[in-house]
Amino acid sequence: MAKVPAVGDGTGASAPAEAAPAESTVDIAPAEAAPAETSPAPAPAPAPAPAAPADAAPAAEPPAERRPPVALYLHVPFCVSVCPYCDFVVYAGSAARGPRSLVEPFLDAVLAELELRADGLDMAFGAPATSARPALASLYLGGGTPSLLGAGAVERLLERVVARFGLAPHAEVTIEANPGPDERGDLAGFRAAGVTRVSFGAQSFADAELRRLGRRHAPDDVADAVAAARRAGITSLNLDLLYDLPGQDQERWGASLDAALALAPDHLSLYALTLDDPEAEGLAGPLGDHLATRPGARRWRERARADQDEDRAAAAYELATERLAAAGWRGYELSNWARAGHESRHNLAYWERRPYEALGPGAHAFDGRTRRWNAARLDAYLAALRPRSGPPHLPPGGAETPDPAQAEVESIVLGLRLDRGVPAALGERPRFAAAIGWAMANGLLERLAAGESDRLRLSVRGRLLSNELFARLV
Amino acid sequence: MTIPQDRLRNFSIIAHIDHGKSTLADRFLELTHTIDPRQMTSQVLDSMDLEREKGITIKARAVRLEYTAADGLRYGLDLIDTPGHVDFSYEVSRSLQACEGAVLVVDATQGIEAQTLANVYLALRQNLVIIPVVNKIDLPSARPDVVIEELESVLAIPREEVLLASAKDGTGVPEILQAIVDRVPPPKGDPEAPLQALIFDSHYDPYKGVVVYVRLDQGTLHGHDRILLMASGVDSELLELGVFRPQLVPVERLAAGEVGYVATGLKSVRDARVGDTVTSHARPAAHALPGYQPAKSLVFAGIYPISGPDYPALRDALEKLHLNDASFSFEPESSVALGFGFRLGFLGLLHMEIVQERLEREFGLDLIASAPSVAYRVVLSHDRGIVEVDNPSQMPNAGEIEEIREPWVKLSVVSPAAYIGSLMELATGHRGSFQQMEYLDPQRVLLTFELPLAEVIVDLYDQLKSRTQGYASMDYEEIGERAADLVKVDVLVNGEPVDALSVIVHRERAQVTGRDLVHRLRRLIPRQLFEVPIQAAIGSNVIARETVAAMRKNVLAKCYGGDITRKRKLLEKQKEGKQRMKRVGSVEIPQEAFLAVLRVDEG
Repeated sequence: MAKVPAVGDGTGASAPAEAAPAESTVDIAPAEAAPAETSPAPAPAPAPAPAAPADAAPAAEPPAERRPPVALYLHVPFCVSVCPYCDFVVYAGSAARGPRSLVEPFLDAVLAELELRADGLDMAFGAPATSARPALASLYLGGGTPSLLGAGAVERLLERVVARFGLAPHAEVTIEANPGPDERGDLAGFRAAGVTRVSFGAQSFADAELRRLGRRHAPDDVADAVAAARRAGITSLNLDLLYDLPGQDQERWGASLDAALALAPDHLSLYALTLDDPEAEGLAGPLGDHLATRPGARRWRERARADQDEDRAAAAYELATERLAAAGWRGYELSNWARAGHESRHNLAYWERRPYEALGPGAHAFDGRTRRWNAARLDAYLAALRPRSGPPHLPPGGAETPDPAQAEVESIVLGLRLDRGVPAALGERPRFAAAIGWAMANGLLERLAAGESDRLRLSVRGRLLSNELFARLV
Repeated sequence: MTIPQDRLRNFSIIAHIDHGKSTLADRFLELTHTIDPRQMTSQVLDSMDLEREKGITIKARAVRLEYTAADGLRYGLDLIDTPGHVDFSYEVSRSLQACEGAVLVVDATQGIEAQTLANVYLALRQNLVIIPVVNKIDLPSARPDVVIEELESVLAIPREEVLLASAKDGTGVPEILQAIVDRVPPPKGDPEAPLQALIFDSHYDPYKGVVVYVRLDQGTLHGHDRILLMASGVDSELLELGVFRPQLVPVERLAAGEVGYVATGLKSVRDARVGDTVTSHARPAAHALPGYQPAKSLVFAGIYPISGPDYPALRDALEKLHLNDASFSFEPESSVALGFGFRLGFLGLLHMEIVQERLEREFGLDLIASAPSVAYRVVLSHDRGIVEVDNPSQMPNAGEIEEIREPWVKLSVVSPAAYIGSLMELATGHRGSFQQMEYLDPQRVLLTFELPLAEVIVDLYDQLKSRTQGYASMDYEEIGERAADLVKVDVLVNGEPVDALSVIVHRERAQVTGRDLVHRLRRLIPRQLFEVPIQAAIGSNVIARETVAAMRKNVLAKCYGGDITRKRKLLEKQKEGKQRMKRVGSVEIPQEAFLAVLRVDEG
């Protein structure tokens, strides 16, 4: 096997055994390459959700084949309160807590979707945990605030996942949690149910920043949450932090970063605060994967946007890159750093363009060929999966099948987000060569020759300016 | 039916904008039953949409009115309409040359305005009989006595000659027609002599070829005569001749003194230029009529399609429009910032605006114009001659220039006296010098200044209007050229000059202009991967500089399972944006940036 000085090589002794296949996917991702898996029995696939009309004219290259998922994402759309910068599908207030809570109906519904999606995979690829349909390598409970679910609910979900999809030994099972004492949930119970990894939305260690962001926790809560997770036996722990916050200077950002490091997490996701307008992008329609932005949040974003600064953001990123490298961390993706062996296998599946299944409102799945999503609205989701009469059916949503050229672009754009980059041969293709040459000349890309492998990856400056290259590749 | 020569009258109506010229023409058409009342629209002669919208006449038109006068006889009155704006005084003088009389319309509420004067002087220069009419006497604010007083004191028009009318309600209009019959002499010219007919306008008809509008000075033209165009030497079998009613109505013959049209069948307007003389091929006249000075372009600008592939369509449109309006000139030019386009010469700023709008409307084009410029005459050093420069980017280097001469104008402003101080300040602020002041009445003055044309075409008209709350009117005429201390200010992006943004300004103004351009451009140029200096320079001397900092971050922070489709689309959008960029050296600049710099008037 080729030695790649990236994920595979750096995972170290504690790397789980199933890390190995991760390395191949980017390399074979170009659409015309034969998929590694053999085709399953020619069982009729369930009809995909209605395809977007934009689907391209017949392409010269054959479309990629459908493959079974290696990962499963489950979206839990509840929070105690909604943060004004957040674009995820979230319901808060009485929907999330109290007598009129929709959490129980949602659990019923998502379990019903789980069965339907699994039925589809059974038909396409046969039973789970077989060679034609290997057990999942990762499960991710995202949100929202999935830690608001009780341990019993998580246990019930995991049980059905294992039964219908299979979960490989040492699979990565992540739950997202908020650090506040009333939000972090029953960490020991989650661990007992099979959760192996916790991701805390710390965001900042400055009280004023947390308040401006609408977060409910205090800086000290993060340390308590981390301690609780460790006590519960969680061995892989992530903290999310935000930079380019309104009013944030380099000193404060450095201080948040240091405070996070002092808690000895295993993984850090550092995001520039990104204030989008999903409605303007046309994503908030009845079949869209986003909810409409509330007017208050819209106003908040306008104000905050005026307070953001490209130079400050770049400096914050550079500061983090240096400080984390000095501490022995590896920035294995544009916004993600890990201690050896703690790279998120689930998220790597996205960047390696491997197939993943998805459940819950607004969730996206990819089967190696088509990307599909559930519509964001919870009422429509519940109505489909918990109908007043008749059997549950799949919720509304949309789908898109990138043509082979688009698939190739996705492979290179996603692959370049990783520090292991992409095979140099991919960049030599005629359609990419000019852009790659331009990026090399401008110091955005560097060549990484080690042993037999010859790869291209973004320089630190190139990471910050990656869209300049990506927009030339599409 | 032919009308004898002694019962023909050729006349124009001259007026300041909005004084009621077109409405009066409408009444003439009604009173003489020239137009079926059911087909009567307002401003019949202004048939272009633009003319109706702007309330101005852009193009001269002619119409034959048949009027039964007090003596019971039928007269043929040929009305040649004239544009009212200063830009078109050339066209006015052409129309007047075909007339023996002019109806001068003055608004009873406004009095004499700058163009009233200009047009009267044009008419007097051609020895026309002037029939003064004070119009709009139906309005409560009308003050005909004051206006009559003004006409007498300023233009020496005897008060007893002045007619009072309301073109709107028709009061006094028959008296004007009668006055035309009584006061305007019939055309002279021997119908038996060899044909001499002056072309005063033309249009192109896809079926009839070039249709020329003529006034016959002498001789007679019959249908199916073979004609000769004396200046171009081209001869042709004429397809049709006729009169304007106001649509083209064929007739058997046109005789000396008459105004009409001739369908030449010629395919190129170049063969039948305005000012040429039409004569008979069989029996040509000994010499041509004096003709006209060709229209002189005073204002120049680059006109570019906003999307490059429209260039051939623009070329096509210019050629077609030119058939209808020979008073603008065009030749191809190209610009780093704006791509391929044309350099156009115009009679003035309004003319420029009108040509651009007609190109956009009538040909469906989306255009951008560079900043207007005048034509400079540049005396090169070491006796290497004189060059004419109407595009700032073509100005020779400072070292090669002995002297730059620029056109000057005499500016006449009619304004309420209260604004004298402000107008003086305005003129001197535009390098003007005060010449003279004359009171039209106790409240209104006529001010004359001399100033460079370049100063007039920037924003003088707008400022004049805003400083006088719209009360002042202006007019200008060329008075030759003068040497000036002018410099070319170039704008450089990353060391590369951006041709479309070069301007020629007075040395004293160079700093301010340079700083302003650089500042505006800095805000419009997106950050690049490297730092980009934006400089204004005179030759190699940098007079202003700002810097666009290097781009430091363009990255998608998050890209997870739900983001991939969306982000790919976002990147595709960014790519489209990049493809629309113009490149100046290695700097990518959205065309919108240039457009914004060219469009913004920060007065």
